[in-house]
Amino acid sequence: MFINRRRFFSQSTMGLGPVALSYLVSRDQARAGVLAPQKPHHAAKAKHCIFLLMEGGPSHIDTFDPKPKLEQIHMTRFQKERNRFEANMNTGERYYVRSPFEFRRAGRLGIEINSLFQSFSEVVDDVCFYRGLQAESVNHPTALYHLNTGNQFGGDPAAGAWVSYGLGTINQNLPAFVVLPDVAYPQGGAANWSNGYLPAHYQGTPLRPEGAPVLDMAPPPGVTLESQRANLELLNEFNRLHRQRHPHHDELAARMESYELAFRMQAEMPRVLDLSSERPRTLEMYAIGGPDKEAAAFGRRCLLARRLIEAGVRFVQLIAMGWDSHDYIEKAHGARMRAIDQPIAALLKDLKRTGLLEETLVVWAGEFGRSPDNGIRRGGAAWGRDHNAKAMPVWLAGGGVKAGHIAGATDDVGGGAIECIHPIKDFHVTLLHLLGLNDDKLRFPHAGREKQLSQTGGSVIRELLG
Amino acid sequence: MRLSFTSVCLLLGPLSLPAEDAGELFLNQVQPILKRECLGCHGDGQILGNLDLRTREAMLKGGPRGSALAPGNAAASLLYQLLNGRDKLQMPPGKPLPPDAMAAFKAWIDAGAPWPAARSKPWSYQPEDLWAFQPVSKPKPPIATRNPVDAFILEKLSQNGLKPAPPADKRTLIRRATIDLTGLPPTPEEVDAFLKDTSPDAWGRLIERLLASPRYGERWGRHWLDVVRYADSGGYSNDFERPNAWRYRDYVIRSFNHDKPYDRFVREQIAGDEIDPDNPEAILATGFLRSGPWEHTGMSVEAVTRQMFLDDVTSAIGAAFLGLTVGCARCHDHKFDPIPTRDYYRMQAVFAATEFARPSIPFLEDENTAGLASGKARMAEIARRTKSNLDSFDDRVKQYLLKKHGAARLEDLPPETIQNAVREKEGITAEEYEEYKLYQKHMQLYRESLDRFEPKAFAVSSGPLDGFTDGGPNLRYPPLARYKAPEVHILPGGNIQSPAAAVTPGALSIIAGQSRLPAPDIPETVAGRRTALAGWITDPRNPLTARVMVNRIWQYHFGKGLAADASNFGKMGSKPTHPELLDLLASYFMDNGWSVKAMHRLIMLSDAYQRASSHPDIETVIAKDAGNKLLACVSPRRVEAEVLRDAILAVSGELSLESGGPGVFPQINEDVARQPLHRMGSLAPAYHPDATKRLRNRRTIYTFQQRSLVDPMIEVFNGPSLDLSCERREFSTVPTQAFSLFNGQFVHDMALAFAVRLEKEAPDARGRIERAFRLAYGRVPEPREMQLALAHLEKQTRHHRAMPPPARPRKKPVVHTITSELTGEKFEFLQEQDPAEYEENVHPSGVSPQTRALADFALALLNSSEFVYVY
Repeated sequence: MFINRRRFFSQSTMGLGPVALSYLVSRDQARAGVLAPQKPHHAAKAKHCIFLLMEGGPSHIDTFDPKPKLEQIHMTRFQKERNRFEANMNTGERYYVRSPFEFRRAGRLGIEINSLFQSFSEVVDDVCFYRGLQAESVNHPTALYHLNTGNQFGGDPAAGAWVSYGLGTINQNLPAFVVLPDVAYPQGGAANWSNGYLPAHYQGTPLRPEGAPVLDMAPPPGVTLESQRANLELLNEFNRLHRQRHPHHDELAARMESYELAFRMQAEMPRVLDLSSERPRTLEMYAIGGPDKEAAAFGRRCLLARRLIEAGVRFVQLIAMGWDSHDYIEKAHGARMRAIDQPIAALLKDLKRTGLLEETLVVWAGEFGRSPDNGIRRGGAAWGRDHNAKAMPVWLAGGGVKAGHIAGATDDVGGGAIECIHPIKDFHVTLLHLLGLNDDKLRFPHAGREKQLSQTGGSVIRELLG
Repeated sequence: MRLSFTSVCLLLGPLSLPAEDAGELFLNQVQPILKRECLGCHGDGQILGNLDLRTREAMLKGGPRGSALAPGNAAASLLYQLLNGRDKLQMPPGKPLPPDAMAAFKAWIDAGAPWPAARSKPWSYQPEDLWAFQPVSKPKPPIATRNPVDAFILEKLSQNGLKPAPPADKRTLIRRATIDLTGLPPTPEEVDAFLKDTSPDAWGRLIERLLASPRYGERWGRHWLDVVRYADSGGYSNDFERPNAWRYRDYVIRSFNHDKPYDRFVREQIAGDEIDPDNPEAILATGFLRSGPWEHTGMSVEAVTRQMFLDDVTSAIGAAFLGLTVGCARCHDHKFDPIPTRDYYRMQAVFAATEFARPSIPFLEDENTAGLASGKARMAEIARRTKSNLDSFDDRVKQYLLKKHGAARLEDLPPETIQNAVREKEGITAEEYEEYKLYQKHMQLYRESLDRFEPKAFAVSSGPLDGFTDGGPNLRYPPLARYKAPEVHILPGGNIQSPAAAVTPGALSIIAGQSRLPAPDIPETVAGRRTALAGWITDPRNPLTARVMVNRIWQYHFGKGLAADASNFGKMGSKPTHPELLDLLASYFMDNGWSVKAMHRLIMLSDAYQRASSHPDIETVIAKDAGNKLLACVSPRRVEAEVLRDAILAVSGELSLESGGPGVFPQINEDVARQPLHRMGSLAPAYHPDATKRLRNRRTIYTFQQRSLVDPMIEVFNGPSLDLSCERREFSTVPTQAFSLFNGQFVHDMALAFAVRLEKEAPDARGRIERAFRLAYGRVPEPREMQLALAHLEKQTRHHRAMPPPARPRKKPVVHTITSELTGEKFEFLQEQDPAEYEENVHPSGVSPQTRALADFALALLNSSEFVYVY
């Protein structure tokens, strides 16, 4: 009998006990592994997802949504009253800030983007810009939790965990959901890629840019592979004898298999992470080895994302930190944009070249956008922007996305979305939809109810679909 | 059976709703918004723009621009367009509805905009759904047995044609009982003594010995900390330390060790400060109310953070004591259980006057104060160094100023010039400014850490205490202008910006309807609200409280409760497999003074608890009772993360059994320890494991529970969520567990310590192997195992002779990169070092090849299935 793993897990937490649970798990695992590929709910082009998370709240006004009106009212001061529903930060004496950046038209439609996006301007025809999304918090950790897990207060499974739960993964020797964080973790830490109440198999595995890429994937220094294998053999012997004494305790088989899988992963992961097989031209395209160290580091992660997708990983999340430009936005956002421009363009071109873009959904978003105005700080005006949940820059590309398109609009200063407005949960529902999953069907029982990524259900943002 | 009640929360899917559901949606969501936001101008008293929104007919008729409503098509409805602001005109003016409200309007119109007059029947139930609300009965055992528990178990087994498994052997039993009650494996000496004891009450005396051990409270206290979402930090942006939370943790451990009656334990945690204000324990107990994640920063909204606390505490009370998911009723009437939103906010109103407090409570004799002085000295030294760094920056600013203004003395300059310059950091570079900010952030964190050693309590009070400022930056409560118990309103959709009717404090109305417990009389004064709620929860007539707790106790003994969802006794939770047994336990609990230890005795002395984990006819058991719900045998269980770590420390001889005191910092994965962690505007200091083994090798319950930095080994072995109440641990098997246990530095270090211990305790290879098996498994090796181990020692000794280990790596200083929040530039910083001298673990370079080989064998034992499972 074939056991549908999704159904199996939901049944098991509804009350199957340890004996049957272990009995079924081991049988299921023996056949295909807990992460075996699953049929999507509906046919969809995208089979993988690369989520480019811009931590800190990138400004829509300075990236993909120019606001010429701000030129006219630049430095106009005004007073914003504080009430109990406003954060301290966003109130008091404020002034409007024009964007210090030049914009250029790009692609067939002449979509205006920041002119620092030189390489990216070559791929805008593959991109769907979305200006209608709204967050619900202007606080970094809560907004990040919301974008990543659907729940502002954390504790729930990340989108990548849901997708892995829904679709399983293709390469059993690699995790289904991989995170490529910056050196520093974002506010809220690992809860941003948590499996929440889903089984631990769906947890995001961070590949660290420094130190061991996966925690404890290699033994301590001085332990040779040979010695490690010898110890594993002894362990297997002990476990085999133990299993003979407990023939009906089937978890024991799964546990032994997990050690073998770990050993295989230990061998496979370095192969995926080793960029030496890439052509020098490819490395150059991703800005790896180039003069901009930040671009090189980000380029390395973009290339890794492509390699992970190629190797069969289901969901890759890249995190680029440092978009929280309250002041001196020209310098701060400028540096970020220069760092991501070439690598992201390279990623999209590379995916397209290999045909992977067709089956890969690429998403670019931060936890919220930025305000058209700024507070008076450090004794004067340091042109920058505060947080803004009412408008934010987002784009999508790849499988199933309407390419070369702008959906939604913001008001004339970029203070808030006015067209095609959707909350984060609709964005999640759309993301799942593009991957062939139905949010209302992708549920898991927890704490007395069937939970889902959108928390309470949402609608697909049709304007984004190709 | 279908529920007739629905609300917006399930209705936002792409399909349009059945009319009946849409009608409910209208009554619950749409109509209140219309009344609140629209009718002021379009119906009640005035009808602006000639548009009347009071009835469906009036809407259909519309105004000068035509019909306002196109049933079945929200997008084509003028009403919806105006609410959406698409038409240049935004309604309500300047105040767009939140997305949830918009979604409700859309769904309602798309479903044909039904306009029912009143709600149809609110909930429909089968009687069995309400089992938990019925009075606790005192069932008679159906058959005569030595222990009443067995009567119910055996009867169910025989009804299902199953026979119970034979009793487990004594070795299995002592391991099972010792791990169950103390969270540690039995020592070889304890096993021997038990095996030798052939008296008929050997088992009973074993249980008594374990219950009397201080280790008991550490084990069962951990279970309770799971339920109460305990942590030593607040989470979110700064994840500020809660420097006195450890005193609540130790209060919990003491309460279990002293077998504090559970009803008192509950009352103290809810209202200790009101009930027994002169009793320090009762003040410490209220830490429960504040244990959830919470933070207020300059970016937070006061009303939101206050509501965060209120929602957390309401849900926590429901889950922990009542076993109900009352949190579901925050946005709408509970979908499955008879908990109207009104009840949720009435319960919340009990806490409307509850404020955070950090009163001075002198240390108790029972508290561990031994390490406070040295801990404080170390922390103060770290803070002093950081402070002197900060001062040197200020000095440089001043020097710069003197030069800039050509002044000889600072006194010659206007005071505001100095203040401004210091604030603006004139005269230092952008990089130095970031460094300055980093140290400032660290000082902010250290000020909290220094409070760990002070006799203060992490507590609450009814009404203001300490002028509302509760110490550190994370704990300061947004002050209220004039103190008066704030009114609590129902918040439809959980939205604080659209409060509906005000409510008075109360409890769950269903209880009064179904059980013999009347609704509580909760005063509306500032003080006394929590006392009244606590009294209602612990009233013996409350049908939930005792049932929920005895079910938890059963769950921790058998791996699964009689009702499998320990914190959900509602309709969606699993029904109890043995409802009468559950009632027997609950009534026994109350009849025996709510004694938790009495419950252990009752349960553990039963035959059901003492059965083998195998069954002579396992095929029949699997066929008839795949979940082993009927308990024909005992289900094997993997130990929890904490038990695993403690057991590794214990068998290696490294465990420090000191109890209590501020959280300790264990050895964790080095990469994680060195990982930069963001704190609002800057980075946290590097993680320093405690320098002494006495501290860092303490039991896991005493480790500092930082919400943003969980020991990865604990995490990977399914440690509890620190944010939500954890009713039951998961036990998944994933390859990252193998990485942690087989490759991790901590386990390698402990395996080597284990080897050194074995060499001390036995003279030769055979003796050491035997000792290792007895320590790890509580038994001697079988001949085949001995043979394998001996061969391994020989092989690995050869290997290690040929392969000398690398020297002990030098401790590298932690260098972190920070991105300037202001300018986006990146800078490198050397993080502060720990001034304490690190007591090193034994290292391979310091021992012989034989010892290293023995450590290889020990590593296999610590990784083996027999070590991590309890049978």
